[in-house]
Amino acid sequence: MTTVAVQSAGLETSPPRRDRRRLAVAVGALALLGLAVLASFAIGSKPLSPAQVWHALVAADGSEASIIIWELRMPRTAIGLVVGAALAVSGVLLQALTRNPLAEPRIMGISAGASLGVVVAIAVFGVGTLAGYVWFGIAGALVAGLLVFGIANRTRDGANPVTLALVGVAMDASFGAIVVALLSIDARTFEEYRFWVVGGIAGRDATVAAQVVPFALVGLMLAAVAARGLDALALGDDVARGLGHRVGLVRLSGGAAAVLLIGAGVAAAGPIAFVGLAVPHLARALVGTDHRWTLLVSGLLGPVLLLAADIIGRLIAPPGEIPAGIVTALIGAPLLVIMVRRARVVTS
Amino acid sequence: MTTLRERTADRALAVTTASTTRPGNRTLLRLGRASLLVRRRSVFVAVGLLVVLFAAMVLSLSLGTPYVAPVDVLRSLSGAGTPYDLVVLDLRLPRIVLAVVAGAAFGIAGTLIQSVSRNALASPDIIGITQGAGLAATIALTTGVAAALVAPAALAGGLFAAAALLALGSKHGLAAQRFVLAGVAVAMALRALTEVVLLSADPIDGMRAQIWLVGTLAGKGWTEATYIAITLVVLLPVLLWAGWALNSSALDDDTARGLGLRPTARRVGLATTGVLAAASVTAQVGAVDFVALVAPQVARRLVRAERPPLVCAALVGAVLVVLADLAGRRLFAPTQLPAGVLTAAIGGPYLIFLLVRGRRRAA
Repeated sequence: MTTVAVQSAGLETSPPRRDRRRLAVAVGALALLGLAVLASFAIGSKPLSPAQVWHALVAADGSEASIIIWELRMPRTAIGLVVGAALAVSGVLLQALTRNPLAEPRIMGISAGASLGVVVAIAVFGVGTLAGYVWFGIAGALVAGLLVFGIANRTRDGANPVTLALVGVAMDASFGAIVVALLSIDARTFEEYRFWVVGGIAGRDATVAAQVVPFALVGLMLAAVAARGLDALALGDDVARGLGHRVGLVRLSGGAAAVLLIGAGVAAAGPIAFVGLAVPHLARALVGTDHRWTLLVSGLLGPVLLLAADIIGRLIAPPGEIPAGIVTALIGAPLLVIMVRRARVVTS
Repeated sequence: MTTLRERTADRALAVTTASTTRPGNRTLLRLGRASLLVRRRSVFVAVGLLVVLFAAMVLSLSLGTPYVAPVDVLRSLSGAGTPYDLVVLDLRLPRIVLAVVAGAAFGIAGTLIQSVSRNALASPDIIGITQGAGLAATIALTTGVAAALVAPAALAGGLFAAAALLALGSKHGLAAQRFVLAGVAVAMALRALTEVVLLSADPIDGMRAQIWLVGTLAGKGWTEATYIAITLVVLLPVLLWAGWALNSSALDDDTARGLGLRPTARRVGLATTGVLAAASVTAQVGAVDFVALVAPQVARRLVRAERPPLVCAALVGAVLVVLADLAGRRLFAPTQLPAGVLTAAIGGPYLIFLLVRGRRRAA
C-alpha cells in the first residue's frame, strides 16, 4: 500500500479547529496566488512598480508600462493560472486514482501523449488553431493514459509506484522521439510547432488561455464532483462500495477530469513536468488527505508554482529567458529523488 | 625453469580447445596461465552476430543515392577498384564504421553498468550518465573551450553524474528499481540544466551545441570513430579482466572475499570503465538512446546466459546502431532522421517489455 491517503480520509470526524486551519491555509494560498500574479506583472527585463502595474491595469493608456502588461505579461500570467491549476489538480487525481504517490502527468507519459496528439493534429490533419489542438491533446492524453494503466496492470503488481513511473518514463521517451521524428520530416509542422514551444508559457496570445479555460473548468468541476468518492477510494474498493460510493463512476469522472485537464494544459503550454507531482504533496502536507481540500489548495498553489517558475526563468539568464517547464524540472527533479529515496513511499 | 621461448611456444600450442570440463556446454580456452571458460553457445552467437553485422554494413553501404549493388560494394571493399569507390569508401564507409564502433561501445557500457548494478534497467542513458556527459560538453562548447577539450569534459561530466547518482540513489542498493527512478530524476535535472546552458549561450554556440547533442552520425566519420576506438583500446585491459570478473561477480561478496577477490574494487573498476565508455561515445555522436539498455539484454537472451555477455552485447549494439542509422537515412529520404530518434522510439516499448516481463517472473 502506498501512503497517499489512508490515515484520515473519509472517515475522520473533523473537529472545527481542523477546518479552521484548512480554511486559513486556503486563504493563505489565495493570498500567495495574488502575490504571484502581481509579481508576474511587475517582474521582468523591465521591472515595474506595483503603482505602475495598478495604473496600467485600471487604465490601458498606451504607455510603455501598459503595453508591457497587457501585451506581454497578461497573457503569460493568464496561461500560468490555467495551466498551473490544471496540472496540479490532475496530479491530485492521478495520485488518488492510482493510489500512487509518484503519479504525475509528465512522469506517467500522459503529457507526452497529449503533445504527440497536438503534433499529429498539425502534421497529419493540418490543424492550425489552438481550439483544434485541445481536442487532439485530450485524445492523446486519453490514449496514453489508457496505455500506461493497461501496461502497468499487466505487470501484475501495477500498484507498485516505481513500475508505473518507469512505464511512464518509457512512454515519454518513445512519444518524444515520435514527436521529433514528425517535426524533422515535415518543415511546415516544425514551423507551427515552434510557436507552440515545449513547456513554456511565454510568447502566447491571451486567447490561448481563453480557449482552454472551458476545458479546464469542466475538468475542475468533474474533479470537485469526484472528491468525496476519491476519499472513499483511498480506503479500498470494497470499503468505498460499502460507504455507498459507485466506484466505477468515481474512477470514470476522476479519470475524465484528469484527461481534460492534462489535454488542455499541454495544448496551452506543452508538457510541463513536476507541477503535478510537487503541488499535491505540498497540499496534503498542509491540509491532510481530504480531497475536497487537497483539490482546492492544489488548484490555488499550482499556479503559484508555475508563475514562480516562469518569473525565475525570466531572471536567471538575461538577456534570454528560460521556459517555465525547464525551471519546474530543475526544481522538481530533486524532489523526485527525495521521494524515491523515502522507503515508505515505494514498495518495491 | 623453462626458457622464455619454450614458454611462448607452450602458450601457442595451448590455445586449443580443451575437452569440456563442466556441464552446460562450456569450452575451456587456455593461453599459458590464463584460461577462459567459454560457453559454446556464445561463440556460435558471436559468429552469427558478426555475419549479421557484416550484412547490415554491406546493406547500409549499398543503399542510398546512388544505389550501389552489394557486389560492387564488396568489390570496392576488397580494394578491387570500382567506379563506386568514392561513394562506398569515402562517403559511406566512415559513417558506418563509426556506427559500428559507437554501437559496440554503447553495448559494452550498458553491459558493464547493468552487470555491476545487477539491474537490467540501469543503462547509462536512462540513469543520467549520458546526460551528464552532454551537459559538460555543452558547457565546454558554449564557453569557447578549445575543441580538443570537449571530449575530456564529456568524460568528466559522465563520471560526475555517476558519482552524483551513487550519492543520491544508492540508499537502497543498486539493484532496486528505485535506483533507476532516482537516475531518471538525475537525468531529467541534467537535461534541464543543459537546456538552461543552451538558452543562455550565444545563439551560434548554442546552435552548434544543439546539433552536437542530437544522437546522429550525419557528417561524422573517421575522426570520431578513431577517438572512440582509442578509448576502447585504452579500456581494453580492464575489459579483458572484466570478462573474467563479470563471471566472478555472480559470487556474493563474502564468498568473493574469501577467495581473495576484492569485490568493491572490481565493481568500482567495472563501473568506471562503463561510464567512460558511455561518455566517450556520447562525446562523439551524442545520445543514441536505449542502445546501451537494449544490447546487453538482447545478447543475454540470444546466448541464454544469466548475465549479459560482453562480446555479444558489443556486437548487438553495433548491429543496432548500423540499422538505426540506415533506417534514419532511408526511411523518409531525403529527410534524414538522427539515429537516436529511431532507437528512442523503439527502445521505449522494449523497456516496457522488460518491466512487464521482469515483474512477472519476480511475482
